[in-house]
Amino acid sequence: MPTSMVVGSSEDDIAEALTVARQLGDAVIVAYGNVNTGSLAEYGHKVYHVKADDPESVFLAVKQVYDEVKPSLVVAPTNKNLKDALSRLSGLYDLPMATEVFNVKVSGSSASYTRGFLSGRALEDDQVPLPAVLLIAARKVPRAQKSQAKGEVVELQASPAVKIIERRPKERGGVNIETAELIVSVGRGFRSKEDLKLAFELAEALGAQIGCSRPIAADLKWLGEDHWVGLSGHKVAPRLYVAIGISGAPQHLAGITDAKVVVAINNDKSAPIFKNCDYGVVADLYQFVPVLTKRVKERLHR
Amino acid sequence: MGDIVVLLKPALNPEMIRGTQDGSVDFDYMPLKLSDIDRNAVEEAVMLRDQYFKGSKIYSISVVTWGPASKRDKDVKMAVQEGLAKGVDEAYIVEDDSIVPGDPVTTASAIVAVIRKFGLKPDLILAGEATIDGFSGQVAGRVAVKLGLPYVSFARKVELKGNSIVAERDVEDYVEVVEAPLPAVVSVTREINAPRPPTLVQIRMASRKPQHMVKLSDLEGVVTPKRRLAAARVLAVKRKQMIIEGKTPEETADKLLDALASEGVIKA
Repeated sequence: MPTSMVVGSSEDDIAEALTVARQLGDAVIVAYGNVNTGSLAEYGHKVYHVKADDPESVFLAVKQVYDEVKPSLVVAPTNKNLKDALSRLSGLYDLPMATEVFNVKVSGSSASYTRGFLSGRALEDDQVPLPAVLLIAARKVPRAQKSQAKGEVVELQASPAVKIIERRPKERGGVNIETAELIVSVGRGFRSKEDLKLAFELAEALGAQIGCSRPIAADLKWLGEDHWVGLSGHKVAPRLYVAIGISGAPQHLAGITDAKVVVAINNDKSAPIFKNCDYGVVADLYQFVPVLTKRVKERLHR
Repeated sequence: MGDIVVLLKPALNPEMIRGTQDGSVDFDYMPLKLSDIDRNAVEEAVMLRDQYFKGSKIYSISVVTWGPASKRDKDVKMAVQEGLAKGVDEAYIVEDDSIVPGDPVTTASAIVAVIRKFGLKPDLILAGEATIDGFSGQVAGRVAVKLGLPYVSFARKVELKGNSIVAERDVEDYVEVVEAPLPAVVSVTREINAPRPPTLVQIRMASRKPQHMVKLSDLEGVVTPKRRLAAARVLAVKRKQMIIEGKTPEETADKLLDALASEGVIKA
């Protein structure tokens, strides 16, 4: 009998989850949405597939397989739809569940893992009894290898009570801020959307990507959410992060803990960002940023 | 009909984090406060009540997960009182040292036990998408499935149409408009509204509203915590905090670029 169950909607996610799941031996895969089930079958495990990708359908499919297989461990990537679907499975059977976990070690009767908590300001090491549900942090474990044997593919159906009326893709600025090496990030210190060009010019001179704080993406919508740096946005790890007109809310700071060097430019010398930067410039961004851009151009391109 | 339950967590305040000598999180030192996103949930409850369910009641349920009760009681009541000031009518607080430190398994089962014990019949149960201490976003989903109700997660807009709720779900790559029959459980994001601070009168009134303290012995079906917190350590991000000053903006810019070049992060 397989002892683990892996849930996901992309081969990358599923292969990483399998690495964790295989600590307990054999596994089954529950794949949802538009995935290549033929390719997934090459990992050598039975693949259950549900075409729908809304959380309720995923829950119903996962529950069906869980009831059949009775696994000791459910492993999946951390994302919003799986937090939703797997919290329901966990609630149904009172299973412990944890999100964004890494350093996962599983034995016959318990699992241990590490995860960030307190808005990213601390790490906790936990131990939970099996069966348990673990949503792993992306790209922190290697992918599992494919196998000689090919797994069987079973199609599942689901009929959810929550009806999807419409789905629209979010506007994308074509940036991948999480992998950017240099980031110039903008906040509420800018008085208008047009003024952001001061930051764009600095970013261009440095060869940096543009990031932003929560209000710029979520409230004012001056930039798309793919620019949003923070706990609810994206976590970044550049070698240089320049925060312009960003006061430094805890949720924003949680997104930049992995930055190597943080520069803050702000006219309020009591802004929390100055306690969380390596180099701070207390200045009016409207006066200072154009000068900085000019000097960067002169020095980098001489 | 039309009552609303809102889930309010007295959460550890991450801004007040402090470490002990060995770098562990000093839980004893950290105060609790109302979890930020729960403010949005209360605000939404009040707005929906005023728009659709005039005259119905808003109940809040809180489960204390960080003990000991003797030390946390004041913080817990302050956090709950904030909800009462914003428009909650009656609060239920589960405070029992036998379930601390708690976990989402315990919290969800205690919430459901309170709803059953006190015969609450909400049309809507609202919660923040996650709490600021644990941030795992699973309690609302657990409550929904235990009560056999539809669940709509990560809502950034909510409307009622007849006996249904229509919500915009904010997922990573897309926004999804969904419709679910009431009663339902909904978790909301910070983008759903801008919480209004309570007025002075509301704050004064809040202290007169009922706060029902509930012990585990009053409830049935509460699962004891399954998670064992083995260790918790402060993530030390050490920044240099050097303020750069020059006589002119040009000089400041040059000093900054010199520093960045010596760090090796730019080649200027």
